[in-house]
This record gives sequence, structure tokens and C-alpha cells, in this order.
Amino acid sequence: MIVIEELDIVGQVIAGKVASIFIREKSDKKIELGDLLVAEEIDESYLILQVYNLAYGSQIPPLVRELTAGLKLEGYGGSLEFLDPKLRNYVLAEVKAVARVSETGVRIPKVLPGFFSSVRHLKKEDLRFLEKPPNPVYFGKVRSGSKILDVDVYLDGKEVFTHHIFIPATTGRGKSNLVKVLLWSVLGQNKFGILVLDPHDEYYGRNGKGLKDHPDAKTDLKYYSSKPFAGANTLVINLKSIMPWHMDGIVEFTDPQLDAIHLCYEEHKDNGGEWIAAIVRGEEVEGVNPRTLNVLQRRFKTIFGLWVNERGDLLCRNEAFSNSAGESTTSDIVQALEKGKIVTIDTSRLTDKAELLVGSIVINDILSRYQNYKGEGKLEDKPVVSVVIEEAPRVLGIDVLQNQGDNIYSTVAREGRKFKIGLLAISQLTSVIPTTILTNMNTKIILGNEMATERHAVINSAAQDLTEDDRAIASLDKGEAILSSIFANFAVPIQIPLFEDYIKGAKEGDKFSLRKEDKVLFR
Amino acid sequence: MEKLEVETFSRAMDICIERKVDFILICGDLFHVGIPDLAVVKEAVTKMREVREDGIPIYAIYGSHDYTPTGTSIIDIIESAGLLVNVVKGRVDEGKLKLDFVQDERTRAKLVGISARKIGLESKYYEILDREILEREEGFKIFAFHSGLDEFKPDYLSQMETVPISFFPRGFDYYAGGHIHDRSENNLPGYERVVFPGPLFTGYARDLERTAKGEKRGFYIVDFDDKITGLEFVEIRLVNGVYFGYDVTGQNSLQAQKDLKEKISQLDVKGKMVVLRIRGELSGGKTSDMNFPNLQEMLLQGGAVYVHLNRFGLTSREYTAIKSAGEDLTTIESRLFQDNIGSVNVSVPGLQSDLGAKLSQDLLRSLRGEPKTNESKRDYEVRLRENALELLQLGEVLED
Repeated sequence: MIVIEELDIVGQVIAGKVASIFIREKSDKKIELGDLLVAEEIDESYLILQVYNLAYGSQIPPLVRELTAGLKLEGYGGSLEFLDPKLRNYVLAEVKAVARVSETGVRIPKVLPGFFSSVRHLKKEDLRFLEKPPNPVYFGKVRSGSKILDVDVYLDGKEVFTHHIFIPATTGRGKSNLVKVLLWSVLGQNKFGILVLDPHDEYYGRNGKGLKDHPDAKTDLKYYSSKPFAGANTLVINLKSIMPWHMDGIVEFTDPQLDAIHLCYEEHKDNGGEWIAAIVRGEEVEGVNPRTLNVLQRRFKTIFGLWVNERGDLLCRNEAFSNSAGESTTSDIVQALEKGKIVTIDTSRLTDKAELLVGSIVINDILSRYQNYKGEGKLEDKPVVSVVIEEAPRVLGIDVLQNQGDNIYSTVAREGRKFKIGLLAISQLTSVIPTTILTNMNTKIILGNEMATERHAVINSAAQDLTEDDRAIASLDKGEAILSSIFANFAVPIQIPLFEDYIKGAKEGDKFSLRKEDKVLFR
Repeated sequence: MEKLEVETFSRAMDICIERKVDFILICGDLFHVGIPDLAVVKEAVTKMREVREDGIPIYAIYGSHDYTPTGTSIIDIIESAGLLVNVVKGRVDEGKLKLDFVQDERTRAKLVGISARKIGLESKYYEILDREILEREEGFKIFAFHSGLDEFKPDYLSQMETVPISFFPRGFDYYAGGHIHDRSENNLPGYERVVFPGPLFTGYARDLERTAKGEKRGFYIVDFDDKITGLEFVEIRLVNGVYFGYDVTGQNSLQAQKDLKEKISQLDVKGKMVVLRIRGELSGGKTSDMNFPNLQEMLLQGGAVYVHLNRFGLTSREYTAIKSAGEDLTTIESRLFQDNIGSVNVSVPGLQSDLGAKLSQDLLRSLRGEPKTNESKRDYEVRLRENALELLQLGEVLED
């Protein structure tokens, strides 16, 4: 027996076919684009329907409607009204069934709702199946049209992070806010080691609210910057930590240059490892044309921001590279990731290439360690590692991969899953990323995008069929998103909370106070 | 070893007197432990008094080894005697650690510092340190510390707990570091000269090995007026070192012993400190079959002043790696003994199988016993020995 309270009914199924079901809207109700509706079935199961198009319907022939409008507009019939207007004119909602919920669980719907069945708005209770998983990553609340339901959306981080997350959106749609919310929700769990390459220095919250305000930030968040504040780590990487293969696919070299690099590396690797310093200082390398070395010297100076002063000291403009300090920086970062901490690296003062190189050095190291762990059977005990990379086409773009070959980021995108390493890639452009990589990104958080080409690229690689959602994606407001994931029962429309609101009420971390026995030290 | 260490310290002090330095700054760990052997203290204090009598002040901070459970260490006693000045002065005011400078009378140099605390606890002090006051201070400034620094620690020490340099006040003329046993001169923007001299000598295995391989040990003499004008590392080498590494892999214990003896006999060790490192997997026999005291004796008879033997990496094929997991230490130990007791070939039933495993665990627990309050070292040793003999039921046998 279908029991929908009369007051709840918003419409009735009147026609259609799979993925295109028509519902007539009840006159005093409003159905919005993106609304989630429910059509109940006799066996207590129900279908969740999503509105993707709205149109007018009328029983009055178009010519009559046009004439009536003319009469009213031109002043011939001020009091002219249709007979039973609520009955004769209405709104038609075009919907698709996104999920069928029954006693046995949630399935992709393979049936149509009962013909002429009543539909109502989705309620909190209808989504009881959206449970909090054991390793929760928070995305926001379920959104039905513009209405926000008090239902939190979580996915299991161990699954979503290893299977890569992709966030496509244009500027101003709330990407940074989303990433902050997401990272905040996993900080302190110690189950995910997350490397955040932060070109805008916005996640840590150096100036304003950010991850640093998390109660567990003191122990589980590390921040590296070439201009650190008191207590932060200096982003300084020793040039000896950089290997030729760290630049693979990130910096383009000619074959003679590559030969020179390898020769120089071989010459220095067992002798202090200062091969980059040697090239920048202009030292000769046996068997290498001096002109090639000159070009390399110039390029290295630009990439790393290096220069040699009159005393012969090697200096770095962006202060992120050094030939004396930072020997253990990479190891420190990798160890923090292995302990399930979040490591944010402020790369705002680095060039594009330098930023990608810093990431490459760390990812190469962690990937190699995780490969070893897998070989030794220890990988299961290790936390999942994820790398947050903005403007992903810099390393995942078709042209980059074609011209420069694979890099460590594309390697992770293709193979990282085997070793519990994933990407969290953010991009304004989706169409420039190869489909093979896009389809590997099994969770997409789709924010508003006004560019049709980009929307189509996202839709074509989504985990669920979003063919009909083009218009809905175009109309997504700031903070609204569609979560499409192979780990979600359906593409869930979500409202991402404003970070500042989300963290309200968070407990403050422990404040340090000097212990009695320590006071003796400062007499 | 102790003698060498004391002599090295004396030599360093002598050099300071000879070179007429204005003052000495010791950045922690003057001794290995908070309450060292009094004979060593006597030697050190005598030398320090000599330095003080020559008009050279000694400044210091606490190192990580300068603490005692009671809170008073030998450094405090030496300071009370007026032989050195602890430069860590300050107070916690409204949650901020406000440090006061100690000014050297002759040079007008201003010294300030933060002592070490047990395993990295000093980072808490840095968190509340009022850097601004220190940075505002005019004049020639020295910051003394006893911590590893994230930015300058060698890669092999990446597991070590360290602090980021951003905790330090910027713009000092010299950052004098202790704790790290590798010598290094470093700089980063805002921190012009961060110097770790490393130990004068050393008492630890890895340091000994490096010293034997030729690493220079010593201290720095810094010249300055308003700014630093010179930085000189003064090496102290009382004895030369010999390092001998030997891999036993592929040999059984007898072969290895024989070959080692032969090779060692060819070493020139007269008047030298010898570090002998034996590693690898024996193809037969046990590691305990090898007569290490004999090898050490040979080297000493050959004239070596000190022999350090490192056999940490030595295993035998007769043992296999044992992995064990458990809820607590007792469970893990119990499983380890039970799993491994079968490889011990003894005929006494009480030492076999479960009985043997239980006895081993009881013995371990007994030997792990802590000294009682006010118990002398001798009484403690006697008690441990008696307990062990009782467990092994050997008391009467030995009495006989």
C-alpha cells in the first residue's frame, strides 16, 4: 500500500521512459532543477528521482494561449482568466531515476516508477543508507535542488584516496573551500598521509582560518615554506637529494642534455652527490660538449633559481634549494606521510617547474618505499597516501605527456592505486587530460562550470551516467557540487559547507604550559 | 676510553688558555650523564678552575645528558662553585618565555640560550619563546642551543627528533649548537652562522667509528668585534685511529676467527684507537663461538690504546630472523622464548621446551629489576646475582 501524505505530494508520474520520466508538478508546490524526489512502491521500496529539466505544460492550445495573452496585454480583457487555471496550466518536470532503495539495499534502478504514481520530495529518512564509513572523508550535505538536507555525505577515505579524486571547476566555484573541508575531515585520523602542494598558500591558514586551527594540527599537520613563520619548517631541499629521474616528464631536455646530466650524475653520485652544483658552477664533464653544459647551466639556474656569488657560494633565489641545508627534508616529509599526517608545502614562491619538482622528489621517494613495502608484505599496515595537485594539466595534460613523456604524477595516476598512492587533482580544464587518466579518477567532485566542452569531458568520464546533468552542472552555484564516485550509490548532489562554518565549534588544541619541574631551568 | 676523553677535554682547555680566548661556551653535555663518575668530575673541575684562574669565563647550557631525576645535575654544582655560568636565564610571563641575555664583561658579547630537555621536550620552550625581545636587542649576540635542527640534520639522522630553525630568534651573529655529533657550518636566510662543532671526542660507537676513519674532532674559535671576522676549527687528535671492517659472510665461525686473527695481526695499531666492525652471516657455528675477547686482547697486546668492537651486524645462519607480535611486551617475550627455545641444544630438562622458556622469561624479568631507593650499586648487584642464581637453582652449587 503506497502511503504518501496528501500534503507531501509534489507531483505525479504521467509519461516517459527510462532516464526521461515526466512528472506533472502540483500547482501549489515547487519542483526545482536538481531536486531529488521519491516515488514509493508497493513493497516498501522506493525510487529516488532527480529532476534535470523543467517545462510548461498546458491543456489549452497554443493559439488560444497566444490570443489570450494578446488580449490581456493590449487591454481588451483585463479580467480575462482561464477556466480552472491550476488544472489546465502546469509545470512538467523531466526526471531520471538515480537509485532504487529496497530492503536488500541500494541499486541502480532497472524499473520505472509506477505509472501515475505520486512523488514527494526526498526526506532525511530516505537516505538512511548513507552511513558514515570507517575511514570517513567528509564532502558536505545532500542537496536537493537548492534545499539542503541534514544528511552528511561521507565516503571511505581508504577507497577514494587510492582511486584518485578529481575536482573540476572554474575559478570562484569553491575549490579551495572544498579541499580545506575535505582535508580537515581527515586530519587527525592518521590513516591518510596527504601531501598538499599549495601554490596559493591557502590551506594551512597562515593568514586566516585553515587547517592549522584543527585540534590535532599540532601533531598531525606539517607546514613547509621557504618563508616559514616561527615553528614552521623551512622548505629547503638539498640539491643532492635531486636525482636526474626526478625531472622526467617535468623538465624537457634534448638527448645530448640528458646524456650530459647522466654523465655528470654518475661522476658525482659516489662523491658527494653534488652534480647539480657542479653544472651550475660550470664545471667541465668529461665527454660533454661545453656548449651543452652552458645550456644546462642556464636552464638549471632558471629552474632552481640558483646563482653563484663572487665568493663562489651557491645561492638560491627562492631559498627552496640549497647545497648545504635540507639534507633530510625529503625523508622528514615522507616519514610524516607514512605516519598518516598531512604535509602542506607552500610553493607560492616557487616557479611552476620548481613546485612540480619538489612534489616529484617526494612522490618518487614515497612511491619507491611503498613499492618495497608491497614486496615485503608490509603495505597493508601503511596509511594511504594522496597528493593534492592544483592545475593538474601541468603534469597530466595530453600535450605535456606527448611532448615530455610520463612523469611521476601520471605514473601515480595510472599505477599508484596498486601501491596505495593516489592523486587529488584539481583543474579548471578537464578536456586536456587524457581519457585513460580521467577514467582512472574514480571519484569526481563536480563544481559549477560554464564551459560546455569541459562539462562534457567530465560527464563522459564520470562514475555514473550524467548525460542528462549538463544543464544541472552549468547551473551549480558556489559551494554546490555533484559527487560522482564508484564508491557512491548514485551521483549525489551536495552542498559543501563554508569552511569557516564547518570548523565552528572545533575544540582548540592543548595549550602548552611550563611544568613545575621545568621552571628550574629558567632561573 | 674515559682517560682519553678527560685528556681531550684538558687539551681543549689548554688550547683555549694558550690562544688567550675571551670566553668559552659549552653547548651542553659536558658529561655523558647527569651525575658522572666523581673521578672524571674532579679532573674536569680542576681544569676548569685553571681556565677560570686565567681569567677566562666559561658559559654553558644544559645538554640532554645533563639531567638527573632529582633535577640537580653536576652542572648546577659546578655553577654554584662559580666555575661556569649558565646562560639560560629567564622567566615565563603571561605564557611567554622571556629570556635574559648574559653579557660577557670583556667582549660585551650577549649570550642567551635554551637548554635541552629530555627527548625533544625543549621544543615546548621554543613554542612559547618571546623571539621579538631577543631580536630587538642590539649588539653582538650569540644564541646557544642543544637541539638538532630539521633543516641541518644529516639524512641518516632523519628519525631524530629535531626542531625547525624558525623557532630561533633571527638575526643573531652566531648560533652555537650542541647535540649533533657531526661538525657542520650552516646558514639560512635570517640565520647567518649556525655551527655544530660536534663532540671533542666521543664515547659512542658510531662516533668512534667515524673518528677512527679520520673524521676531525675538535672545537671552534670565533673571532669577532662588532661582527664575526673569523671562524677556525681547532682539531684535537690525541691518538690516531684504525678502522677495520670485516664481513664474515660465507665462512663458518672457526674459519672467520682464524682469518680475522691473521688479518688483525697485520694491522699497525701501536698507540692507536682501533674500531673493529664485524658483520655478515656465518655459514655455520654460532656467533658466540667466536672468541672476541681474544681478538681484543691481540690488538691491545699489539699496542692499541683502546679497542672498540662492533658486532651488531653479525648473525649466523643457525639463527633465523624471528618476528613476533603481541598485545604487550610480556606476551611478545614469552612467544619469542617459546619459539626459539628449540634452537638451544641442552640436555638439562629444566632448560628445555616450556620449562626453559618460562625460566628464561623469569630470569629476564629478574635481571631487569630496578635498584631500590638508597640501595648501593654493590648491594643491587649482589641482590640481582642472588635472585638469578636462585632462579637457576645454582645457589648451592656455587656455594660448594
